Amino acid sequence: MSAVQPDAQPMWHGEGVTVADVLGALGEIRYRFARREAGDSEHLHPRNCVMTLIGIAPTEAHEVVAKRTTQAIGMQHPAQAIVIREEAPIRRRHLDAWITTDVRRPEMACAVECELITLHVHGKAADHLGALLDPLLVSGVPTYLWWLGTPPFGKRELLDALRVSDGLVVDSAQFEEPYRSFRRMASMLKVAHHRMGLADLQWSRLRPWRESIAQFFTPSDRRVFLGGISELGVDYAGEGRGNRIAASLITGWIASALGWKLRRAAAGAGGVVAAIYQAGGRSVEVNFRSVPQNDRVPGEVSAVRIAGAAGGTTFRLSVMHDPPRSRDATGSSYEWDRRRGDTERVLLTLIEIGDGEPLRHVQQLEPEDEAALLIELLSTGTHDDVFNRSLAAASDLVESS
Amino acid sequence: MVIFGATGDLSGRKLLPALYNLAKQRSLPAGFAVLGAAMSDLTDGAFRKMASEKIHQFSRTQPIDERVLAPLLDLLFYVKVDFSQQDEFRKLGRKLQELDDARHTTGNRIFYCATPPQTYSLIAQQLMAAGLHAGKGFHRIVVEKPFGTDLQSARELTQTLQKAFPEDAVYRIDHYLGEETVQNILALRFANSIFEPVWNANLIDSVQITIAEEIGIENRGRYYDTAGALRDIVQNHGLQLVTLTAMEPPLAFEAGAVRDEKVKVLRSIRPLIGEDIEQSTVRGQHTSGWVLGQQVVAYREEKDVAADSQTETFATLRLFVDNWRWAGVPFYIRAGKRMPKRVTEIRIQFKRPPHLTFGREAMKEVDPNAITLRIQPEEGISLKFGAKVPSAGLRIRSVTMDFQYVTSFLVEAPEAYERLLLDCMIGDPTLFTRADEVEAAWMLIDPIENAWRSGRPPLAMYPAGTWGPDEAAQLLKADGREWHRP
Repeated sequence: MSAVQPDAQPMWHGEGVTVADVLGALGEIRYRFARREAGDSEHLHPRNCVMTLIGIAPTEAHEVVAKRTTQAIGMQHPAQAIVIREEAPIRRRHLDAWITTDVRRPEMACAVECELITLHVHGKAADHLGALLDPLLVSGVPTYLWWLGTPPFGKRELLDALRVSDGLVVDSAQFEEPYRSFRRMASMLKVAHHRMGLADLQWSRLRPWRESIAQFFTPSDRRVFLGGISELGVDYAGEGRGNRIAASLITGWIASALGWKLRRAAAGAGGVVAAIYQAGGRSVEVNFRSVPQNDRVPGEVSAVRIAGAAGGTTFRLSVMHDPPRSRDATGSSYEWDRRRGDTERVLLTLIEIGDGEPLRHVQQLEPEDEAALLIELLSTGTHDDVFNRSLAAASDLVESS
Repeated sequence: MVIFGATGDLSGRKLLPALYNLAKQRSLPAGFAVLGAAMSDLTDGAFRKMASEKIHQFSRTQPIDERVLAPLLDLLFYVKVDFSQQDEFRKLGRKLQELDDARHTTGNRIFYCATPPQTYSLIAQQLMAAGLHAGKGFHRIVVEKPFGTDLQSARELTQTLQKAFPEDAVYRIDHYLGEETVQNILALRFANSIFEPVWNANLIDSVQITIAEEIGIENRGRYYDTAGALRDIVQNHGLQLVTLTAMEPPLAFEAGAVRDEKVKVLRSIRPLIGEDIEQSTVRGQHTSGWVLGQQVVAYREEKDVAADSQTETFATLRLFVDNWRWAGVPFYIRAGKRMPKRVTEIRIQFKRPPHLTFGREAMKEVDPNAITLRIQPEEGISLKFGAKVPSAGLRIRSVTMDFQYVTSFLVEAPEAYERLLLDCMIGDPTLFTRADEVEAAWMLIDPIENAWRSGRPPLAMYPAGTWGPDEAAQLLKADGREWHRP
């Protein structure tokens, strides 16, 4: 059994139990809570739950993250969280279970009890997660499956769990064999049931980039530039095709939004990728280049550059993550722009239009907390057509290069 | 009350614990006594000991209050009866007379057949032959579903019962009708003014009824392999839920009015005949699989089941109630064994708004409005509707408003048998099934059963632990709908 005990003080714990036992314990816990909270009131308060969030944790470390994150989410949104960890087979024993609860007491509303059910599944039962999970799901609210690490795309284990889920949440930045896994993830959309949504935390992390790029084209007088883009460049950390997923997602997002068609792509030494897209009657050149990692995570995007011309006016947009400090002639350093003292995470946007003075804009980035990312993602649902289109286009690019 | 089959499963699990809880609520009438009658040779003392054990084991209220139990046990008596021996019914009569004399029960008698269905006719005939079916006081007979195995056998059973007892003295128990939440269907519909105006084909798109069990046939292979899901569940529970959902408001909540309206619904259901059966029904049988995290065997590997059995463990029907209120609204019923969990619910699916004011993108995560009546477990009602996601943009998502029995009332719901036994004692047959109701149900089921027995449509296999065969999903998909996941 795992060295990590799921909970310090679970409300209930059983080894070698059945799902029926877990359901029985849950019913008892809910009933006791409702009775306790009712006090002298004639009516008990209804139980509130907005979703079931299932975290599949392949390792002990993932289990810790899943529990911490789902509990953090539960404190903001009344939810039932289930964390599942696959364990080594034990003869005649399929399931160990823990139930913990957190009670939230909003000032203006009745108390809400959030449940975390931790299941350690032994042996073959883990191949049948759908059957294991289905009875535990809260009816009438969405069920999200958050698979930490690398989901077994195409395998029965995942397909079985997806049968009972409305959305799959992954983090393609955490994939092992990211190149293969990313392509399998993209192909999954073609076979998933139509209700099933797919979300990627890496896509969520790219949101500030997408917003910065979109904001450039938002003013009506700049819309014309969308049809005049001739170059797109993305800098990323690390080498190898598996590190180009974030760069490909940004490219896929722009390409799918503007109707570009991939004509050809090739990868060269040093992490360079060159691709040509057809945009109406024009070509758009796309280049990826690998930059030194420094303190960046492999695969992280560090800069996006877009250039072109329309209506006789040239334009250039550069968005840079945490840009390096520039040096003046005397060798003393200065910052590109003001930074907040408590963080160095900024996006710098440089805009050059025609002969005008360059415009600079600094955007402070929020810490990339997994719980915050998940909350944001789940609050808007996992059915995101923009992501789906971007994913398909990114997959084409990854595959071609 | 005479309980035939007093040493059996139904008596021990349901009837005796129900009597205990009625005693606890002081609902048993003065002079009440139970006379157990079965094949086993028991003394009163042995029967009381068995009853005490079963009540301790199966009563819904725990711990057992010995101050209630002890006097109740004193009211239990036992007589050995071989149902095929008329002499033994005379002996039964003498024992009843003794109890009448000793306890001043004024001759009121309830004969409860907690025995296999094939014994009902025999018991009724023997009671008549022994002169126990009539006399001073009331004489009622209670029989459990299934009421026959087809229309003909149901009619024969009715005729036999009615030779001995008038129809208003025949209490046919479908314990579903004793469930609080089943009765609450009528309360929801007819005690509120907001639901009934929308409860029709103008706004309702479809109705889904799910009766799912996670268990298998539980050593009932001999019975089940001759019955199947259609006869075992759909003919009674399934159609009962259809009638309660679809019936017109009765004049009052009294037996005649309620049962008249239910029969009208059954007679309004468009019969499935010929090709309709292949197009509107699915019969399935489970293979091996995983249920509640446990590996289970295929139906054909169960004890007392034929290795090539064609009996269905899953049934789906698409029915139409051809009346003004429900024209064009499909009622989908699915019932099955070895499904992911035990759940019975009715889902009223409403139509989508006629115009998408907020656009397709804003509405893409919004399901149409739905009312779900959860019969068991977690009994309650939920209403699903769209609400704006708090953000700058305009996105709508589905949210639910839930009512749950367990957290809404401080009193615990009684067991169905408590309510039904009490109703039988006080002579209220509202929650019991009338003969014409039973026959109307069999008239719908018989043609389907006959077609299924001839292999139309073919048996569809489904892995245990799933919501049935793909064909059941396809049936709805062809209509542009899908099953709700309970």
